[in-house]
Order: sequence, then structure tokens, then C-alpha cells
Amino acid sequence: MTSDTTAENRRVPIRLRVNGSTESAAVPPRLLLSDFLREGLGLTGTHVGCEHGVCGACTVLIDGTAARSCLTLAVQADEADITTIEGLAEPDGTLSTVQQAFADHFSLQCGFCTAGFLMSIAGELEQGMTEPEIRELLSGNLCRCTGYQSIVEAAVELAGTREA
Amino acid sequence: MKPAVFDYVRPSSVQDAVSALASDPDAKVIAGGQSLVPLMNFRLASPTLLVDISRLDELDFIEVRDDKLCIGAGVRQREAERSVVAARSCALVAAALRWVGHPQIRNRGTVCGSLAHGDPSSELPAVAVATDAEFIVRNRTGERVIAARDFYLAPFWTALEEGDLLTEVRLPVDTPGIQSSVREYARRSGDFAIAGVAIRGTSGDGTPRASVGAFGVASAPVRMTATERLIESGDYSQSALDDAIATDVPSPTSDGQADGTYRLELLGELVILALADCGGRR
Amino acid sequence: MTADDVDDVGTYPDYIVINKPVNQRPLRGDVVRYVGAPIAAVAATDRYAAEDAVEALAATLEIDELSPVMTVEQATSDEAPLLYPEWGDNKVVDLVGDRPEVRAALDAAPHRFTETYVVQRQTPLPMETRGVVAEYRDGRLSVWVSHQSPHIARTTYAMLLGLREADVRVVCPRVGGGFGGKTHVYSEEIVVAHLAMKLGRPVRWIEDRAEHLVASVHARDQRHVVDVGYDDEGHIHAMRCHVICDVGSGEVFMAGTCPSLVSGGVMTGSYDFPNLEVSTTCVVTNKTPAGAYRGFGAPEGVFVMERVIERVARLVGKDPNDVRAPMILQQSQMPYTMPGGGRIDSGSHQQTFERVIELGTEALQRVQARFEDDPKVRVGVGYTNYVEPCVPTYFATTGHWAGYDAATIRIEPDGGATVAVGVAEIGQGMVVTTRMLAADALGMNLDDVAVVMGDTDRAPYGLGAWGSRGAVVMAGSVVKAAEVVLDKARVIAAHKLEAAAADVVLEDGAFTVRGSPGGTAVTWAEVATAGVIRTIELPKGLEGGLDAAATYEPYALEHFPDESGRIHAAATWSNAAHAAVVAVDLRSGHISIEEYFVVHDCGTIIHPNVVEGQIVGGVAQGIAGAMYENLPYDPETGQPQFASFMEYLVPTMSEIPPVQTEHFESPAPEMPLGIKGVGEAGTIGPPAAITNAVCFALADYHLDITETPVTPMTIRAAIRGSKDRT
Repeated sequence: MTSDTTAENRRVPIRLRVNGSTESAAVPPRLLLSDFLREGLGLTGTHVGCEHGVCGACTVLIDGTAARSCLTLAVQADEADITTIEGLAEPDGTLSTVQQAFADHFSLQCGFCTAGFLMSIAGELEQGMTEPEIRELLSGNLCRCTGYQSIVEAAVELAGTREA
Repeated sequence: MKPAVFDYVRPSSVQDAVSALASDPDAKVIAGGQSLVPLMNFRLASPTLLVDISRLDELDFIEVRDDKLCIGAGVRQREAERSVVAARSCALVAAALRWVGHPQIRNRGTVCGSLAHGDPSSELPAVAVATDAEFIVRNRTGERVIAARDFYLAPFWTALEEGDLLTEVRLPVDTPGIQSSVREYARRSGDFAIAGVAIRGTSGDGTPRASVGAFGVASAPVRMTATERLIESGDYSQSALDDAIATDVPSPTSDGQADGTYRLELLGELVILALADCGGRR
Repeated sequence: MTADDVDDVGTYPDYIVINKPVNQRPLRGDVVRYVGAPIAAVAATDRYAAEDAVEALAATLEIDELSPVMTVEQATSDEAPLLYPEWGDNKVVDLVGDRPEVRAALDAAPHRFTETYVVQRQTPLPMETRGVVAEYRDGRLSVWVSHQSPHIARTTYAMLLGLREADVRVVCPRVGGGFGGKTHVYSEEIVVAHLAMKLGRPVRWIEDRAEHLVASVHARDQRHVVDVGYDDEGHIHAMRCHVICDVGSGEVFMAGTCPSLVSGGVMTGSYDFPNLEVSTTCVVTNKTPAGAYRGFGAPEGVFVMERVIERVARLVGKDPNDVRAPMILQQSQMPYTMPGGGRIDSGSHQQTFERVIELGTEALQRVQARFEDDPKVRVGVGYTNYVEPCVPTYFATTGHWAGYDAATIRIEPDGGATVAVGVAEIGQGMVVTTRMLAADALGMNLDDVAVVMGDTDRAPYGLGAWGSRGAVVMAGSVVKAAEVVLDKARVIAAHKLEAAAADVVLEDGAFTVRGSPGGTAVTWAEVATAGVIRTIELPKGLEGGLDAAATYEPYALEHFPDESGRIHAAATWSNAAHAAVVAVDLRSGHISIEEYFVVHDCGTIIHPNVVEGQIVGGVAQGIAGAMYENLPYDPETGQPQFASFMEYLVPTMSEIPPVQTEHFESPAPEMPLGIKGVGEAGTIGPPAAITNAVCFALADYHLDITETPVTPMTIRAAIRGSKDRT
């Protein structure tokens, strides 16, 4: 960082891993991680639904745990390991178990919220979680289409607590 | 919904951090950013400099010193929630943290960030007030200790001044026999509370004692001393409890979510539930 | 860019003859009527810079504040400031019902009551906000937009921007939910396209959530003033209902006035209730314009009807279902014409009603047992019946477009098909439904059918996704087009099989001669190759090509009311009954929906998962309206008292219960394949069912809820009020 430029023109170098690839960029301090991923890297699978941390559509994994990319500055992700929805499936396109469960249970309609749900589950779902625990865990992700039922069913199956 | 322009530094020491804070009267501290960034996205906050303390190793600690649970400003809420040290020494912290936002928020947000933000409907400030916590504050000229009861002045307004950095919170550890409970009510899971209460109490054989902090009901977290005295009297009626609560919260918040009357009714019910959690009567 | 810079852009047409004209401009100049009205647009190289410029621009604005009109009472008072002085009042629509026989029946009824019911303001709130990208290149305007009706958008863009319609392409790729809010053609779309044309480079605008909450349409915001006549047996003799809707500033295309007409038209729903007189008034206020939202007036009307039934039951000391039972429509009454003119074609109204009572009664016992040890929790069950108007005319909503839709089918040389339709995919499953239905109609495998929609260059002119109509009008047009190509394909196959076309059948993807199993077969690929490429193989005189276009509109659909104001405005009617079982915590006033049932009938079901998803998702939005979402304004300043998801309470997974569904299938006698609609059904029932359940649970407190949302504060206030009385 140099000190002779105005704040408006300031760019901060960052280097991070995104879905296993190392990315380097010089970003304005105010750039949100969500915008860096979408605009900077073209990873538009991360959706932006509210930009104040309520809807959860922009959820990604930061160093392995689920977090809001709209409430994270790109500069704060320097040196971090980020996983987005694009990093969830196998390189050959085979769906991850989380994605497959969503497909099996019709857990999406318009699909806008889906990436956020998948990342929350990928980062935070623990084996053996009960349905109430799952509901609490995923209450940080809003869906307007499904009424959540099909998402709960997928998550319950993934947690291995499906009732016979 | 994008932040206004600001400059950014990530100091490598607390000393550098407070120097940076001193350099700009509109500087703000950022750690997890979970309270600050939403405000910046709405441009309700437009600091000109952000001082990022999230990577300062010297602030990354949860430990017990001198019968106090000390949590550094780098500690994220999820770490504190899962900390064995915290659970064993101050159960109220974990009890409160599970109500804070959602796991995705707690993964980034810090304990001290929430304390310094001073949202009157958030849980941790009430915990601090209920436990007589101490806030360790550094600035370029030195360090001072602010008692929790002196810390919260008004919504989002604390005793922190320009150039101050909250480096640590110290909470007196649980004494034997102590029970803790946080109860709150919000319309949706994970929302800020319409009303909530944090209680640390003992029942056991002797006199019941309780430290009670309320949140969501007033312009700042409330230490409910009248309610505490009533609980210690050992025997009280519903109407006496209602009176004590009204004494503790003389001007309950009334807003689009709920009116003051409802908030006080709710607080009364939450106090009863939390006392029951702590092994009290009912 | 401000109002002056769009002088050369047209004014939105005011097509609806019963509406007073609002003359909506793409950017507002002199008078700004609501917070959220577009007054200027800033183009920059990124959104951050644009917001900086907007902030700077806002600081320079000179504004004279006018006194706002924020409520129905204010809007209709004599001293009210007028939003449109040329009107002489604030009523954009004012239709007075006049049925002397209803008034006579009211006068003759042994008992009467009057009441006002209120349904709050909501917004459709798709998770994906609106978004527009426009590019003007080589004399053509291309607009990628998150919209429910690509062709209607194209027509409107062309009209306002002065372009030939053929020079405008609208593409709506993977729309992230609409729920009615994206049927409207908004100012921002025109402004972005205009900017792209002026700047000669692509322009993008993605609405953010703060913009969305004030700039995309709101909905509901109705009050119903009823006058009800009944007798000691709980027989409701007659009802007059004045529907008053606050449509905000009215500056939206298409107008937001039609839902209030639907409210009155469908409120009696599953009941035989001839003596209804409805008047409808839509007032303008200084709020965001109201528009279409899933349910489109039906949830409001049904809420009022069911609350009236419950009131009568309480007044005469009867079980509400005993008041409902004599009114419930019977099979023998089909088709049944409602007071407003809607002709219910078919349905299982009595069966769904009886089945849902069984389910609700059992569930009530279960839930009572669950809470029997907690004296602070009260349990209740609530019911509702309703019909869902499906495949409506769009003329009442738009004053321009009507009811048809279209399909083209092109058999490709390899034997696959490209099926393009005018309906649209907004997440409701229309692509998969179309593929399934087209494959079936063409005797092909699913994998052999490619579906095209949402692109005006590739799909035939159609009206898009709204009105619980897609499956019906898609099926109607696809089946017709499929018949044309199949007829020709059979001729080609017959020629190859050396048989008569009439004897050729299509089974398992191959054409064979009827009655000769195991005989020679010709595949779709062989027929298609002959039809499209190897036309030398065609019978003499038959021209090449294997494609067809067809349109479909239900023939009985009416677009104009008769002289008494009655109109059969929807072609077919799904029906349903809901039961909600709630547990109300007296301490906090918290309402927990313990069990929720929908017994549903949407005629022939094409894709069970799609139907299930529509019903359950619809119920969630109905619960949101019943208990959570609201858009209040400061009555003094006109400022919205909601700015974010912290105030607009979209329910989460923790608030929405599991929903159990059961189905009857009463095929629609006049619709293709017996299909009815399902898109809006789930949303209609919850406000009534949940409110009824809460009042059941709190019967001791004599709670009679007349307003949604029902909140813990409602409950606690009722308990307090009851204590004060005793």
C-alpha cells in the first residue's frame, strides 16, 4: 500500500484461494467479497439477495466455515481459502452429495437461494443433527419458493437422521 | 447498497492499531464486520478509515486470569460458543451466543465487536451488564478499564471515544452452584430480540441470588436491580415482579415490532422462565 | 438522466377504461408521489461509483414537501390533497354494486352485523430482485430482464421507445421467482434501455434489496366493510361488501386495481352463496404502487368470508363447520355461477371439506395431548374452503392483452423436437412440465424434447407466467400443435409402411400399422429425416417440413362484464380446503403452527412434485401474510417504516411448519387434458385458516380477529382486554 494516493483510488493487493485456485488481485477496500467473486472472478453462482446479512443467498465457505460474502470485505479475505458453489461439484460435473440430495428431493424451484443453502449445509451440517437443529441452522437462509419442506427433507437425509 | 469510499489498514500490533485509529477521527475498528458492514452497505455508517484487527494474534485469546474469563477482541463468536474454557468458567457467554444471529454470522462476528457495537437488542451487552464485566480499552495514550454498567449510554453509543480500541472483555467466573440462562423472544429465529433476559443465579440451600440483565427492552442493556432484590427476598408475587420490572425498565422501547406494554409483559415471562432454568422456583 | 432527458420516451398507456388515467412517465419530474419513485438515473462504470453519484445528487435536490395522503380515510376525506387534481377525488376505481334483491334479503334477515376487515400491505418479494441488461447494437435493442412476461415487456418497450417490435428482443433467462411482482413493466426497464441506446453501450441495473422494498410493487392493502344478515340457525341470508383497496400512487403498468375486483368476485368461493353485493373502490395514496401478488385478491376475499362465517357461528352458538356445511358446493350444482359471474366448472368442494375436517379433528386431538400439561398453552384448529380462479382473462388487468397463449413445435431431422411456448419459467417448473407434456403428446422420450421459452426471438408471442394459467394454456397450444405434426408424421410413416395413414399408430417412439404387433416399424428419426431432409422420400404432393404453430384460449372465457357487471373471467377453478392446528402461548402470545393440511383439487395432475412444490410454497407465503409481513408507513411523513429484512419479516425455516397435502382430481371438463391451475392456490388459505385456529384456541378470551397479520402483540392485547373486561 502506498500512502500518496487518495482513498478513492486506493487498491489493496490480495491473494487468496478460491475453489482450489490461487487468485491475486488489487481491490478497492470497499469491495465486498460477494462482488469480488461475481464481478472480479465471474463466479456468479454466489447470489446476492439482500446485502445486509439476512437472506443468506451469498453464503460461501471462508476457511471451511459458512459465512456471508456480502458482509465480508474482499480485503478481509486476503490469504483465506474460499469455496463457492462452483467448487462444490466434482471437476467432472458430478454433483456433490449435498447437491444430489437437493436434486432428489426437489429442494429448489427458482434456484436463487439454492447456492446459499448448499453452502450453509456444506459448511455447518453435522451428522446426527435433529430436524429442529437443522431448522435452526438453516434459518439464516431465506427461500421464497419451496416453503422449505423439501429443503428440510434433503438436509435431514444428509444428516443421516431420517426417520424410518 | 455498497459502502462509501474508505481507506483500510491491517496493523500488525495493537500499538499500530491504536496509532491508526488516532490518525483519523472518522476511523472505525473492523473485526468480523457482521454489524458494521450492513450499516456501511446501507451507508448509515461511512467511516473514512477501517482498522482491521481481525488478525492480531495478541487479541486472539480465551483464558481465565484472576477469576475472570478474558476474551480478546479477535475471538469470533463461534469460537467462544464452542470454547470449553468459556463454558466451564462463564456459562452465560455460550448460553447467550447461541441466540446471536445465525451460525453463518457467528463464524465471522466477534464477541468484542458485538459488545462495542452496542445494539440495545443484542445479547452480549446484557451478559456483560449482568455479570459486572470489565471492558479493557486501549488508545494511543494508554489503557483503561470501563465497568459494563458505565459502558452503554444509548442505542449504538458506548463509552468508547475517538481513538479507542476495545481489546478485551473480562467476565467474573461462575462461582460454585451458579446456573445461567438466556431467554429471549423474537418473531423469527435469529432475529434481534423484542425482549430478552440473561440471568446468572444460585438457588441451592441459601438465599437465592441472581444477576439479571435485560436486552431489547430499552435504549441500552438494563441491569435489573429491583428485580434482583425481589428475587433475593425469596418470595414474591406476580404483581410484585411486574412492579420490579417496571421499576427496572421505566421507559420500555416501543417501535414497529412491539409496544412497550408488550415488551414488559414479555420480559416478565422471560424472567420467570430463565429463573426456572437456573433452578429457581416455578 | 432525469425526467427532461426522457422527453422523447413515450408515456405509459392507460388502457383500462374503468380506471382514471395516471399518465405514468418513466422518470418523474414535477410531482413525486411516493418514496421509491424513480426520479433520476445515474450510469457509471460500476455500482459503487453510481451510488456515490446518487448520494451526491441527492444532496443537491431541491424538494418542496407536500402533505402526504397515507390512508384510505385520508384519501377519501373531503379535505384530502389530491394526487391527481384533474380527477376531482382520490378514487382511481369506484364501482358501486346495485343488487336490490340482496338488500331486500338483508332487510328481511332476523339478525345483522357490520364489520370492517383489514388485510395488510405486503410485497411479492422474489429472492431475486429485478434486473435489466440492455444493449443496442446494429439497430436492434436486446434486453435481458428478470420478468414474467417477455412478450408483453417487448411490446411495451417498443411502444415507449418508438422501435419496431421486430427490432426488440427480450430474454428472461432463469428468472429467480416472480410471484406477480415481475408481471409489471417497470420504469427502470425503459430507462435502462433508453440509456443503452443513448450511450451506445450495454447498460445494467440490478435492483438492490433496499430499492426493491420501495420500488417493486406492493400488494393486498385492502379493507372490506361488510353488512351481514343471518338467522338463529346460522344461515347467512345475504351480505353486502365494500372492498376498498389502497393501491398506492397507481403509477405502475399494468395497474394494481384488478386484485380488488377479484377479491369480491371469488370471496364466496366453495360456497353456494347467491346473495352477495360487492362494491369496489381503489384509492390512491402516497405509497409504492400496488400490483399483482400471488393470490391476486383471493386471499383477502376468502379471509373476509371465512371470518364472517366464524362470527355468525359464534353469534348463534354453532360449530363453524356446521355453518359451512349447508353452503358447501355439491357436485350436482356444477357448473355453478358465483354472484360475480365466475362459473365454477367442476370440483370436489364437499369432499375436500369433509376430508380436511377429518384430518384437522385428528390433528387437534394430537396437539391437545402434546400440550395437555401446559396450562399456559391453548390449542385450536381452523378451517377454510376456497376456489382458485385459473386461466383468467388478462383484459381486466391490462385493458389490452386477453387470454391466449401459443406454441410452436419443430420436429428436428434427428427425430427430436424443439417445443417453443409463450408461457414462461420463473421457477415454478414450467420447463419440466412442458417437456413432460410435449413428450407425451408427441410420443417421444423426455430427452428428445428441447423446450424454449423466455426469449421473444425464439418463442411465439405469448403472455407469460401469471394467473395460474401456464399449464392449461401451454397444454392447449402444445397439444394442438402436436396434433398437426403428428398427422403429417403419420402420413409420412404410412407411406414408408405402405399402409393407410389412418391405420398408423405411434407407440414407444415408433410408428407401426395398427393391429400388427412386431411388424415393421418406422422410427421418429426416420420420419423426421424424410420430412425435413430426404424429402425425396415423401409421398408425391406432400411438401417438406414437420412443424406447426398453434394458439389456445379457453373458448368460454369472457373479457367484458355484462350490463350487471358480472363476468366469467377465469376459465377453470381449482378448489381446496385447509386446516391449521395452532398452539398459542399465553405468556408470549407466540403462535406455533403445529400441523397444517391442504386437501387440494387441481384437476389432472401432470407432475406431482411440481404441484406439491407450488402448494407448499404457496402456503408458506400465505403464512407470511397471516402472521409476519407488513409494510407500514409513517402517516405524518409518508416515510416507509421498513427499510430491510430486519423489518419485513419473511419467515424462515423455523417459522414455516411441515405441510401435509392430499389430492382429489376432478378434471376440468373444458380444459385440455382436464388440467387446472395450481400456482396461487396455497397462498389463498392460510390467513383465514390460521386466524380461525387462533380464535378457536383463545375462545375463552372472546378473540375475534378482523385484521392480519396476527401477531403475538395481537394475542397479548386480546388477553389484556379480556382481563380488563372481567
